[in-house]
Amino acid sequence: MTLARHLYRRLMRKWRVIGLIALASVPGFVYWLAAFDAHEGQLAGLYSDIIAIAGYSFAIAALILTVATLREERDAGTLPYIYMRPMSRMSLAISSMLAAIAAVMTIALGGWLTTALATVAVGADISIALPGLALFVAAGIGYAAVFVPLGYLVPRSLLVGLGYIIVIETILAFAVPGLAQFSIWRIALSIYADLAPVFGAEAAEALGPVDAGVGGGVAKIAGTLLAGLLALTWALRKRDAL
Amino acid sequence: MTDTVIVTELSKWFGPKVAVSEVSIGFGPGVTGLLGPNGAGKTTLLRVVAGLQRPSQGEVTVLGVNPRTDSTVYQRMSLVPEDEAIYERLTGREFVELAARLTRIDDPTGRAEAALGTVELLDSAHRKLGGFSKGMRQRAKVAAALVTDPEVLLLDEPLNGTDPVQRAQLIELFQDLGSAGRTVIVSSHVLVEVERMAERVVAMVDGRLAAVGSVPTIRAAMTDIPRQVFIECSEPRILASALIGTEGVVGVHVEDGQLRIEASDAGGLARLLPQIALDSGITISKVEPLDESLESVFRYLVEGRR
Repeated sequence: MTLARHLYRRLMRKWRVIGLIALASVPGFVYWLAAFDAHEGQLAGLYSDIIAIAGYSFAIAALILTVATLREERDAGTLPYIYMRPMSRMSLAISSMLAAIAAVMTIALGGWLTTALATVAVGADISIALPGLALFVAAGIGYAAVFVPLGYLVPRSLLVGLGYIIVIETILAFAVPGLAQFSIWRIALSIYADLAPVFGAEAAEALGPVDAGVGGGVAKIAGTLLAGLLALTWALRKRDAL
Repeated sequence: MTDTVIVTELSKWFGPKVAVSEVSIGFGPGVTGLLGPNGAGKTTLLRVVAGLQRPSQGEVTVLGVNPRTDSTVYQRMSLVPEDEAIYERLTGREFVELAARLTRIDDPTGRAEAALGTVELLDSAHRKLGGFSKGMRQRAKVAAALVTDPEVLLLDEPLNGTDPVQRAQLIELFQDLGSAGRTVIVSSHVLVEVERMAERVVAMVDGRLAAVGSVPTIRAAMTDIPRQVFIECSEPRILASALIGTEGVVGVHVEDGQLRIEASDAGGLARLLPQIALDSGITISKVEPLDESLESVFRYLVEGRR
């Protein structure tokens, strides 16, 4: 836990956290603006549409944060201080992943709170916002599982991660149905779709061919996390640390 | 004594660039100076020994195990990395304590205090490392390495940025550790530092081992390079003419009344010189070898390789 705590503290720099929470709060602000002209009956559907589409801002926030977990240590040359310790590479991978997940949960909570406050501000029932937390949490864990190993392995991991989100998740996964099954955002959205009281037409389009379902979505996120852990452990064992 | 660090046929390359080439060497208790110009492969060698980089070829064992596959060795081995790589937002105390906690040693707080005391940083330990001078950062890094009481200590340019007083203190500390039976490997490109702190020198040039041993031993082994000897005497020109043609003397130079001899057999010259002086009635007041310093030896090594 010492290592996880150290990495978490390093990730949670004040201005970075503020900036990333602001980025993750984009859906909340968009909803607040869009809901002014909406009728009461449209508020729940509008919430799901906006969180499904504008929620990519949270994906980018999660990328910026989680990719830095070990990349910053490598770039700063401080990795030896944590790498040269009597702990298995699996323990090192688990600690890194825990730190990244804890950090991204903070951002997720901040982003979701903004959407919840927006529902209150526009007079909607706050219960429509509750499944949004599940979406952010699931996506945060999924992105951490992918981006922590990426950050360790690839020097320009932020660019590569952006490429993944923009090219694969938003363009290719939309055009190629098979790819959608591997999109972290859509997997998280499938959990949300199952929980949300109303799932709008735009949100359904964003989900694409992925089936809605909490169980399947959680299993896929868990599988992604396991694969990420194994990939990171492999990288820590086999690749140069500096 | 048994080698604690054994490097066998080690090569490390990055794409087309060979950083370390076919190096085989053992390091035992005591201070060993790893010497070489920038880009000689010292840092890469230390990183591979530390387990931070995997060998492209060959193998490394530290205290009998491969550091890449057995992380328990890090309970007994520490590294002071090159440059100013440090956690700027941590205080000196937090940094050293973090090292202690991550190594899971008993009483991390007490041990951190002791390590900070050893490098004389206790008074500044509450300050953030970002506000430390270069020399203080180096000492903090050394404290973080010492807090686990390692049997093998790898130091990559540890004296960079330190002032003369700090340098003297650190050199004394490394020597004490070496005398206490620890394996201390110190890399440096500053010859004077290595000469002061290490009884054994490993010279690297272009990724290869150029020489291993004490400085006089290495110099003595360079039989193809004549020794330069400065002689101060009452009649330099007469002594010069007496030495010309003498066996083992390959060059005689008189410059500004100073005599400089190049001898292929320094021992022979030492035996011959008193007799010639006696026969010629010359008073010799000083005989001084000019190229037995580490700097001279190292210059020969580098030039010989290129």
